Amino acid sequence: MNTTRLLCCLGYILLAPFIGGLLDGIDRKLSARMQGRTGPSILQPFYDIIKLFHKQIFLVNHSQFFLVGSYLVFVIFSGALMFAGYDLLMSFFALTTAAMFLVLASCSTHSPFSAMASQRELLQMMSYEPMVLLACVGFYLATGSFQVSDIIQSNLSPIVFLPGFFIGFVYILTIKMRKSPFDISTAHHAHQEMVRGVTTEMVGSLYAITQIAEWYENVMLLGIVALFFINGNPISWPLAILGVLFVYFLETLIDNTTARLKWSKVLSSAWLVTLLFGGLNLLVLDLMIKYR
Amino acid sequence: MTEQETMTAPGGLIEEIPVQDLLPRVIEKKIANWRLCQICAVTLQGLYELSYSFADGYEFHTLRLVIGSDEEVPSISQVYDCAFLYENEMRELFGVHIQHIAPDMQDKLYRIDTKTPFAEKRRG
Amino acid sequence: MAKQTVVPFGPQHPVLPEPIHLDLVLEDETVVEAVPSIGYVHRGLEKLVEKKDFNEMVYVAERICGICSFMHGMGYCEAVEHIMHVDVPARAKYLRTLWCEMSRLHSHLLWLGLLADAFGFESLFMQSWRMREKILDMFEASTGGRVIFSVNRIGGVLKDIPPEMLRDFLKRFDDMGADLRRLTRTFLDDYSVNERLRDVGFLTKEQALSLGAVGPMLRASGVCYDVRKTGYAAYGDLEVEPVVSTIGDSYARCQVRIGELFQSLDLIRQVGEKMPTGPIAVPVKGNPEGEFFMRCEQPRGEAVYYVRANGTKNLDRMRVRTPTFANIPAMLQTLKGSQLADVPLLILTIDPCISCTER
Repeated sequence: MNTTRLLCCLGYILLAPFIGGLLDGIDRKLSARMQGRTGPSILQPFYDIIKLFHKQIFLVNHSQFFLVGSYLVFVIFSGALMFAGYDLLMSFFALTTAAMFLVLASCSTHSPFSAMASQRELLQMMSYEPMVLLACVGFYLATGSFQVSDIIQSNLSPIVFLPGFFIGFVYILTIKMRKSPFDISTAHHAHQEMVRGVTTEMVGSLYAITQIAEWYENVMLLGIVALFFINGNPISWPLAILGVLFVYFLETLIDNTTARLKWSKVLSSAWLVTLLFGGLNLLVLDLMIKYR
Repeated sequence: MTEQETMTAPGGLIEEIPVQDLLPRVIEKKIANWRLCQICAVTLQGLYELSYSFADGYEFHTLRLVIGSDEEVPSISQVYDCAFLYENEMRELFGVHIQHIAPDMQDKLYRIDTKTPFAEKRRG
Repeated sequence: MAKQTVVPFGPQHPVLPEPIHLDLVLEDETVVEAVPSIGYVHRGLEKLVEKKDFNEMVYVAERICGICSFMHGMGYCEAVEHIMHVDVPARAKYLRTLWCEMSRLHSHLLWLGLLADAFGFESLFMQSWRMREKILDMFEASTGGRVIFSVNRIGGVLKDIPPEMLRDFLKRFDDMGADLRRLTRTFLDDYSVNERLRDVGFLTKEQALSLGAVGPMLRASGVCYDVRKTGYAAYGDLEVEPVVSTIGDSYARCQVRIGELFQSLDLIRQVGEKMPTGPIAVPVKGNPEGEFFMRCEQPRGEAVYYVRANGTKNLDRMRVRTPTFANIPAMLQTLKGSQLADVPLLILTIDPCISCTER
């Protein structure tokens, strides 16, 4: 068992940036096609990262390197925990710590845009944290364990017990993946009032590191989506991958068909969805367990 | 044509008034709910010709002042808030002496290097 | 008392179409005050009257701005034609009206695209600008230029549109109508767009009048005023009803501009039906002497062209009071008390053309 864990962990650490970058490229291509354009090549994100590492940096603020580096380390740590089959709750807390480092990095500059955007990032975190925690609780109730290695061995796919949680999770995935209508703190396009948001003052290799961290994070989040589908039966794995691809397509579609909302709307709608779908599901699940 | 007809004709009515009548006439226009349309200046030999245009519906009425280059003109920005842009422009480009513009941009509206470039003509 | 921060907005900002600087004084995310600062595109074009003669000034007038180019040239020509008492032939007037309305169409589509981009809806931005390309293609076919196409001259126009081309254009505009309806339905009915536009940037009727607002900014606050009703160019022969809304927020302004899109399509159809035959220009001899205030309805609002001539070939003064110049005080008023997220929208709501403002 230990070798499998180690292999999965290493596999995540080594392969996730490539998978993440490829997914980013597919997203850009798909968005372009939805807008009637040709779009860049699927490998474009990799070309961009290479170019970013070649840029010369004139930095006034050296603490940013440490903070952004910590952000990357914690994201990799949380993903590695999950893929190695350990505690789901623990990996989410690690992810939250990573996000805090990003906020600190953007606060550490003197730019008013970064400062305001980090406030928005904190508001974003307030919007999605409840749902994320509830989803972990849901997995526990459905499969009896917080350990990922146990969850993937369950008899039925967790989604059978957790449809509400699934919907809620996909809703806040839009926030976490920084897609319209919830791209209030930073987006892939710089056409918003916060300029580039939390990453406004990050240039060159610094920005490249945040991009790579974002890829690690995306792969981990999509891994959680897959977790809803995977059960002890090996046939569930390709189905899970299909499910993940469908959710990713849905995110791109939503990104291209909505305008950006204001932070108050993001917060209120996220909590509403959490209470409605997550809360109801939790109630039903609780009753089912009590009266089984 | 009557005054009414001239005002609705293309180009409207242009009326020359002395400087001291400017503020009273402008206040009259404000009370009658006329809209400030534009203010512009022309440099003629040693003189400035200022045109204050007002519109009400499709009627167009311009009040014309002819002043010397050193004469002072009161600002109408206390009556019409939006006049500050036009008056700052006139002062910066032409050097017209306008008093009490609110807000006063201190000749920094257009950030140009030359002082009052429109004040005298250069044949080129 | 919340802490006040000053956010420098512009001149280089991804959301701004043109450079304008605003110092936004913020308390948390509410704008308390906006201090404007322009002058980044000031070229001093009006001083060129000393160097260029009155015929060449048409080219200078056209180059004040790329989007409003045709109407600047036309406004100037009409002012000089009034001074010289030139009788422009009917066909030239109709051609000018056609190009005016096409300019209005492409300008409003450009604005719709920028608005969509400002609230984060990129695909809508792409769709609007793709429609605009069709109009630019028609400009190129009829005049040779897409953005600045010098077809105005004192006494008429330089190029004619042959009947087959006109028929082809009218057909293309008919097809465009259905596409436009689909596009504008998203602007008017989509939930997230409504969230961003409704109840944002209120301007009452009294405020609009006292601040000197013009164009859709004025009409969306309930004032029925459209300079085309004075009947310049061929508008005297066409039915023009100003598109008015009484709500006064950004949604109303969007509605008014969308209404004007369809009104332009209708006007183009009317022009196509009534286009007379005849010459497209008359020769103009001599120099102008006199002055004139010409008013035109640009897509952004009422523009005033003041020309003063003294009998020589150089004018005394050409002054263009552009609609954005008149709308800036109104914009500053809507910015007070707004949210930071709405600032790009409120700047765009006046349809700013800073090149026009600064000349």
